[in-house]
Amino acid sequence: MTSPSTALVPSVDPAGDDGGTRETVATSAHVGGGRAWRRFRRNRVALFAALVLSVVVLAGLFAPLLTSFDPNLGRRLGDGLRPPGGEYWLGTDHVGRDIYTRLLYGSRYAILSGAQAVVIALAIGLPLGLTMGYFRGWVDRVMMRLVEAVVAIPAIVLALAIVAATGPGLTRAMTAIGIVYSMVIARLARAQVLAAREELYVDAARTVGSSHKRVMWRHILPNVAPALIVQTTLLFATAVLAEAGLSLLGVGARSDQASWGRMLADARISLNQALWPAIPPGLAVFVTVLSFNTLGDGLRDTFSREARGGRLGVDSVRPSSRPVDAGPADPAAVLSARGLWVEFPWPDGSGDDLAVVQDVSFDIAPGEVLALVGESGSGKSVAALSLVGLVPDPGRATAASVNLAGRELVGLDFEALRRLRGREVGYIFQEPSAALNPAFTIGRQIAEPLREHLGMGRKEARTRALELLARVGIPSPADRIDDYPHQFSGGMAQRVVIAMALACEPTLLVADEPTTALDVTVQGQVLDLIGDLSSDLGLSVLLITHDLGVVADLADRAAVMYAGQIVETGEVATMFANPRHPYTEGLLQAIPRNERRSGALATIPGTVPPPYAWPAGCHFHGRCAYAEPACLAQPIPLVNSGVPARCRRVDELVLGGVRRSDGTTGERM
Amino acid sequence: MLKLATGRLLAAVPLMFLVATIVFVLVQANPVDPAEVLLGQDASEEAINATRARLGVDRPFVTQYADWLSSAVRGDLGTSWFSGEAVTSDVARRVPVTLSLVFGSLLVSLALGVSLGVAAAVRAGRKVDRFVSVLASAGLAAPNFWVALLLAYLFSVRYGWFPAVGYTGPTDDLFGWVRHMTLPCLALGTSAAASIFRQTRSSMIGVLQQDYIRTSLAKGMPRRIVILQHALRNAAIPIVTLAGFQVSTLFGGAIFVEQVFNMPGLGSMGVDAVIRNNVPVVLAFVMVTALVAVLVNVLLDLLYAWLNPKVRPA
Repeated sequence: MTSPSTALVPSVDPAGDDGGTRETVATSAHVGGGRAWRRFRRNRVALFAALVLSVVVLAGLFAPLLTSFDPNLGRRLGDGLRPPGGEYWLGTDHVGRDIYTRLLYGSRYAILSGAQAVVIALAIGLPLGLTMGYFRGWVDRVMMRLVEAVVAIPAIVLALAIVAATGPGLTRAMTAIGIVYSMVIARLARAQVLAAREELYVDAARTVGSSHKRVMWRHILPNVAPALIVQTTLLFATAVLAEAGLSLLGVGARSDQASWGRMLADARISLNQALWPAIPPGLAVFVTVLSFNTLGDGLRDTFSREARGGRLGVDSVRPSSRPVDAGPADPAAVLSARGLWVEFPWPDGSGDDLAVVQDVSFDIAPGEVLALVGESGSGKSVAALSLVGLVPDPGRATAASVNLAGRELVGLDFEALRRLRGREVGYIFQEPSAALNPAFTIGRQIAEPLREHLGMGRKEARTRALELLARVGIPSPADRIDDYPHQFSGGMAQRVVIAMALACEPTLLVADEPTTALDVTVQGQVLDLIGDLSSDLGLSVLLITHDLGVVADLADRAAVMYAGQIVETGEVATMFANPRHPYTEGLLQAIPRNERRSGALATIPGTVPPPYAWPAGCHFHGRCAYAEPACLAQPIPLVNSGVPARCRRVDELVLGGVRRSDGTTGERM
Repeated sequence: MLKLATGRLLAAVPLMFLVATIVFVLVQANPVDPAEVLLGQDASEEAINATRARLGVDRPFVTQYADWLSSAVRGDLGTSWFSGEAVTSDVARRVPVTLSLVFGSLLVSLALGVSLGVAAAVRAGRKVDRFVSVLASAGLAAPNFWVALLLAYLFSVRYGWFPAVGYTGPTDDLFGWVRHMTLPCLALGTSAAASIFRQTRSSMIGVLQQDYIRTSLAKGMPRRIVILQHALRNAAIPIVTLAGFQVSTLFGGAIFVEQVFNMPGLGSMGVDAVIRNNVPVVLAFVMVTALVAVLVNVLLDLLYAWLNPKVRPA
């Protein structure tokens, strides 16, 4: 609906609404009736809005009982423009009619006019939209052209044109508004039907031979209903506005019809003498419209899953006083982390924070490639991001120490960390096409850190960007530098990301699943590039991966992570040949191998449990073939019997590894 | 870009043709005989026939339509049934008033809506965000004509800071123009600002979750650049789409605001013509408004293409 080609035609929502219609279409994930009602009941603001609306309806219904005045006649001559108070609670208008009374009767006009417009809009728009969406083809094309032409005219202008044809009057004006709104309903219904058609059950119903009408009413309409209910509520609000507006213009309610718009029109006549007659009707329109809008928003939240938002996701690493289960940091290391924890609050705000990374410590020597290995959900990416203050909101990272080339990062603020990011630490991410900003040329994106950190000028940065592109193997960089990310293939885009990460010649490169999202054919090339660059530039690399083939290819040492904890560390060759933790064994068994073609591929049963299900004892317990009840009794230290494996049975178990067949590279997928 | 502009403009031609047809059929549907209205009920048969001939309403429908359309394409919108004045020259006088109002309001609403929307999005869920969001709900519900009345009373009648009614052209008196436009633009811009705020907030929140924002943070870009360049540039795409709808809505709202402030714009011309069923003026009113709305959307399409490289023709 918001595609650029249709932006030519304003798909006008006469409310001037916030694009809510489209949002609803995009995010509605249907919720069962009972659950929807329970969710709605929890929305106090929307409930209050519903209460206000019932007061408005009741006021109109019982108006004669609530006042002793006539809405259209002044009680006596000379009582024009009496201020509020005494006999006239809200004062009188310029001809001496009681404003309070007119206000009560006005809610009748507001509700009835609104209902009239909405009913007409539904009566015309719904069949129209359903027909267009259901039959598609030429019916849809022809009708859609007409609808587009109609909505090209601003809604109120179109309503006035209809009034010009029918003549003024409240009923006629609201009929006109209803016709205009029917276009909104038609487009909405059409979009929903087209979406619903994609669902299998409509096809299924047609296959079993249901008639057109039956399919439409039984299968499609219930699906379209939530969005329609929301839109109808919002349309009611705009209809109340339109009634007031058209009456103010003099094409709606007559003077003997005490509508709120008419009251405003009268108040305008006497505005030079008094303001108060304008306050009650305006406030009444305002409150009614606000209530309808709020109710509509509440209903939308009920029917559609809320799009969870967050702030700009950055938070520095804060100092922690928790005990650290690791030796002192290696003073020669480029990066050493001690006792890193990352915690997230529960999604609903209740309960203790969930620690998704628990007491993680490691060192990376100059020029060394350290692999952080684990399945998804093990916390390895979050751990690596947190080191330089990129923990995603609303997470919170703490550590005893994070030392980058002699500088302590714990406790640094955003600005201090920012100067290190991109300068001392370069990042490569999993999904290159998502990691690049679609709105900027790659040249600009590579030049940015150069200009920011190294203070280069535009020209100098561009020259350097060209060099970098050539270095990472982009053919004819001069032709590609002004291209946009969507013009690059995945492998080429990842090369661009690498060029960007290395632009300022950092000392540490963090590569977060750098090849996972790429075609198998280019994975090797990108890995080779990272390997070459790190050895040429003497880079230290923190390689995050779930792929042991990649580890064997690139890494010197590995730290295996499971469910927030490091479970084993060691030299890659040693670990592969002789794993000491059952989880490492499982990972190694799961590598597809060329030499052993027979038999089913071994896998570890189950998946990483969610953080709230992690036991106090061994986290791997539930999936471990060697587990004993005692494994759950208490937390397991990282080092057992002098072996860096988080397993209390490390001495008894004899685990199987893999031997690298050619002695140099391992087996890549 | 030129190719895109030409393409969009060409696509607008059949659309406007369709609009013209629909509107002409619609407005002609009024069964009231204009000659009877003009001459009164006691007029003689001959006088009425003469007037009908003068207005051209005695001709077959299709002839009237073809005649009107071919003149309109050449810029001749006919003459008013009541004043006998050329509609085109009346429209030409009034267009600047309405355009000043609509674009002034759009400017106000974009400035307010985008800046507050960005500020709220980066503080999503905090107090500032909630406060401005509530304010936006109020702004969305406040009828522009009521806001106009209140502003007119407060700042014109009561304090006399701004003129309550009328219009001065910017070429006659620039300062006077600004003084005349301030209150109407504020009144008209309120709800548009609220809409744009809500769109900006929600699309900024969405964009801030994107991987490329994390990338720009990982590159060590300052917060200001991450938010105002990397995020806003992408968040602007739906905002531009919404601004397109808003222009149309503002043209509608301008009718009310012009009425309250007695501004000689297209709206007041249209309302008067609608009440008196002055068909040539009603047609001109609808067509000119629709044409401007469509042209503005072509413009926004180009802006859209600039913002979103993916839809740019190679």
